[in-house]
Amino acid sequence: MKIKNIASALALSSVMLSSVAVADTVKIGVQAPITGKYANEGQSIDNFVRLIVDEKNAQGGLLGKQIEVVTCDDEAKAQKAAVCAKKLVNAGVFAVIGSYTSGATEAAQSTYFRNKVLQTSDGTSDSLIKRKYWTFFRNSFPNAAQSDFTAEYMVNVKKYKKIVVLSDYSSYSAGLGDATEASVKAINGNILFRGKIKSGVQNFTSTLTKIKAMKPDVIYYSGYYTDGGLLRAQQIQLQIDADFVGGDSNDNPDFYKLAGKSAAGTVLINFPTPEILPYPEAKKYLSAYKKRFNMSPPSIWPVTNADGLRAIIEGVEKTKSFDTKKIASYIRTMKDFPGITGPFNVREDGERVGAKFVVYKMKNDGTKEVVK
Amino acid sequence: METFIQQLINGLTVGSLYALVALGYTMVYGVMKLINFAHGDLVAFSAYVGLTIFTQFYGSNALTLVNIVIVFSLTSIVVAFMGVLLERLAYRPLRTAPRLSAVVSALGASLVIQNGIMLIWGPNMEIFPSDIFPSTTWNFGGVLISYTQFVILALSAFLMVSLYLFINKTKIGTAIRATAIDQDAAKLMGINVNRIVMIIFIVGSMLGAIGGLFIGVYYRGLTFDMGWMYGLNAFIAAIIGGIGSIPGAMLGGLLLGLFNAMISGYISTEWAETFTFILLIIILIVRPAGLLGHNVAEKV
Amino acid sequence: MNNKTTITIAFLAIMAFLPLLADSAWLSIGITFLVFAVVAFSQDIILGRAGVFNMGHAIFFGIGAYTTAILNVHFGLEIIYTIPFAIIFSAIIAVLLAGPIIHLKGDYFLVATIGFNIIFEQVLSNDIFGLTGGPNGIFGIDVIRIFGYELFSDTAIYYIAFGLLIITLFIIRNLDNSKYGRALYYINKDEIAAKSMGINVPYYKLFAFALGASIAGVAGSVFAIQYSAVSPESFNFMQSVMFFAIVLVGGSASLPGVIIGTFVMFVLPELFTEFKESRYLIFGAAMVLTMILRPNGVWPVTFGNIPKFLRPKKGAK
Repeated sequence: MKIKNIASALALSSVMLSSVAVADTVKIGVQAPITGKYANEGQSIDNFVRLIVDEKNAQGGLLGKQIEVVTCDDEAKAQKAAVCAKKLVNAGVFAVIGSYTSGATEAAQSTYFRNKVLQTSDGTSDSLIKRKYWTFFRNSFPNAAQSDFTAEYMVNVKKYKKIVVLSDYSSYSAGLGDATEASVKAINGNILFRGKIKSGVQNFTSTLTKIKAMKPDVIYYSGYYTDGGLLRAQQIQLQIDADFVGGDSNDNPDFYKLAGKSAAGTVLINFPTPEILPYPEAKKYLSAYKKRFNMSPPSIWPVTNADGLRAIIEGVEKTKSFDTKKIASYIRTMKDFPGITGPFNVREDGERVGAKFVVYKMKNDGTKEVVK
Repeated sequence: METFIQQLINGLTVGSLYALVALGYTMVYGVMKLINFAHGDLVAFSAYVGLTIFTQFYGSNALTLVNIVIVFSLTSIVVAFMGVLLERLAYRPLRTAPRLSAVVSALGASLVIQNGIMLIWGPNMEIFPSDIFPSTTWNFGGVLISYTQFVILALSAFLMVSLYLFINKTKIGTAIRATAIDQDAAKLMGINVNRIVMIIFIVGSMLGAIGGLFIGVYYRGLTFDMGWMYGLNAFIAAIIGGIGSIPGAMLGGLLLGLFNAMISGYISTEWAETFTFILLIIILIVRPAGLLGHNVAEKV
Repeated sequence: MNNKTTITIAFLAIMAFLPLLADSAWLSIGITFLVFAVVAFSQDIILGRAGVFNMGHAIFFGIGAYTTAILNVHFGLEIIYTIPFAIIFSAIIAVLLAGPIIHLKGDYFLVATIGFNIIFEQVLSNDIFGLTGGPNGIFGIDVIRIFGYELFSDTAIYYIAFGLLIITLFIIRNLDNSKYGRALYYINKDEIAAKSMGINVPYYKLFAFALGASIAGVAGSVFAIQYSAVSPESFNFMQSVMFFAIVLVGGSASLPGVIIGTFVMFVLPELFTEFKESRYLIFGAAMVLTMILRPNGVWPVTFGNIPKFLRPKKGAK
């Protein structure tokens, strides 16, 4: 039985390899939320991938082959993501960029692994690298890195004594919330309350009213901007005298639109946003992006995904092959590959290392200044 | 104690939004015995229409009271027209068809409106300007009421009282009640049933439109599928109060708003919806006609 | 051989040979079609035959899928052994849920099942007892192993789904010719008359419910195997609406009708992804139009009371 399995796997992979060798194009998949709540992030990931692919194709392609991009909309839903994974594998892609949310990324992971398709994602859930799939590497940084930084900021820099941690129920947000709670406790901070809100219900006044009675110094929210903006607005409306600190996914222009004037004073902890990236690659690609799509990427995530794609391209060119196994191990040995989001280093288990964080404060007019 | 009263106020605000929307469900059910599944989507539609008029005509600044009244009236008229159109196209041809056909048609109409919104305004969240009403907040011994909340509570109360008087004190209201009791008999008495149905849809849609605008002003973020959530809650409110009963819908809406606020404030946000639906199912089992409805014996 | 048998056999013959012609993309569409057709037939037992207004059918589909996923991923049970559990759990939960409300009249029953569906969705997304995996669901479901053979190819799953469809059709045929089938027929035609003839109406309705639910449960298992992942939004209220609409748009208690309904609702959108954005709009409009033109469904062909604005003008022929 074993022998039969291996034989069929060999036969299958040789068919795949030969089809890659014969075709004069190679396919790269994008799995992202093109529609739905996080559509602007998903569309931007797709845009950025196409920008880089078109540049590559204009230079003569990848090892002489033109790259074709196949996009699948996972609507940030796990089941749709599983469908997308099958579709992209069937379409014959050798690598997939995405998805935006950790949940959709994780749901697709095993399918790509089983079919030896590379996958890179900005998902920050610690669980993404738990299975140590060789096909997967992260292009952003894990929650654990962010939570340590956040705890340090809240407990030691701002000296908050009474901390409230809120998240929603998604794996990313709950994970970041739990990690932050743990990091705060680890440096002897005082967690007053750890609560969860239901994403999308819009009315958070019940939870906030409950929190008001506890008189916290700070409310930390680890969810997405669609809820974070409203949470902040309702906090101000209920006159809860506490600072508001938001995790990375609150950093989106819609946060300010939703919170309105209440956004002023909000503190966001995030990876450096695109416009303040100091690297030469950043200037080049971001201005090209702006020129072509008439706007900037909404957040850092499409940019880290672009770095993931660039790492894969680099891997193909350096190994001179489309053998995903070789590319994956090459990417894990790269040293300080010049990424748009800074030096790109991937650990053995697929973790990107060397996280940097920035603290922003919102000003009255919706702009933000770097505090730290 | 302050916390409790604050929760009460929050609950009442949401509750009066539910009540406004629930009235649309209950009036249609009362007269046509049809669950108008598309009503929630009309509510979402009105929020989008309202937002478009706000931003197109007035920008997000300089909103005078007159402008706000104009926006509210224009939106109500557009949505009332949609309601009548909905009845004409999707429900009237099915008045004598099997019950389930009308249910499917209503669900279909709901999909059409919901996805129509998506095609017109896009799948991304649209956001209401935050300064339509002044950001004043009054403080009564620690209990806060914002300007927006006050407007919602006051205007909803006014609309509900007006509707109650309209149904009970006017000639058209009497005709509506007669049609609800027995359509055939009403027809024999010279009541134009088609006209009554049209009036029901106009009034129901207008109330829903005001509800939708309030949702936009109060919560700001609009998504094309938000109609389901608000519609479903309002519909539950109508059933709790007794579907077909107008005071029932008002009572049901307020009770549901309070119930939600208390559950999420004191028991669990995680299971708040579950509690709502358990309440619904218990009421259906124990008293299917709702709090203020009355049981009708089955005609053989 | 009557007309109905001919259609059935022709349909089954086409489906049996599809994998020989189709590539993998078509094959997975084929699997989706078969799985949803089975669910639609099971809903037809409840809605079309027993006349119970069930708008929570996605619950039973979901219980099957989650039973397989949970038993396999958390408890390491082989997929093949999870299927009996999927059947039994779906049936038990169907009886527990429907039992207390089976006496409710049409619309009220419908509303109660909507309520159940939303509670079900919330139970799944709240990760109850740490089993359901929250909003992301459960992934990494194993492949089927029978006698040491791993059946992970799409063709294998296709034939599993195909076998399930044949069994379902067989059950329905036997049901129609049995005492239970006749009882359901009378109940659906005239409940009060059936009651006065001494038919135990709640008993037969619950029977239909449990039967339909257990078939949907198996379909759920196959669905979980096909995608090796399950998540709450596949079993939400919207999905129940679709199952409800399939039966009524196609034509209740009609085999070609249910097939057409499934095809239109679940296969067409896969084929025309360019219409993805507007597909629900088109569905919605189709649902309204079908009900107006053919209130009893597309099949058998009987026209309803066609409104004036849709009638052909006189002399236009």
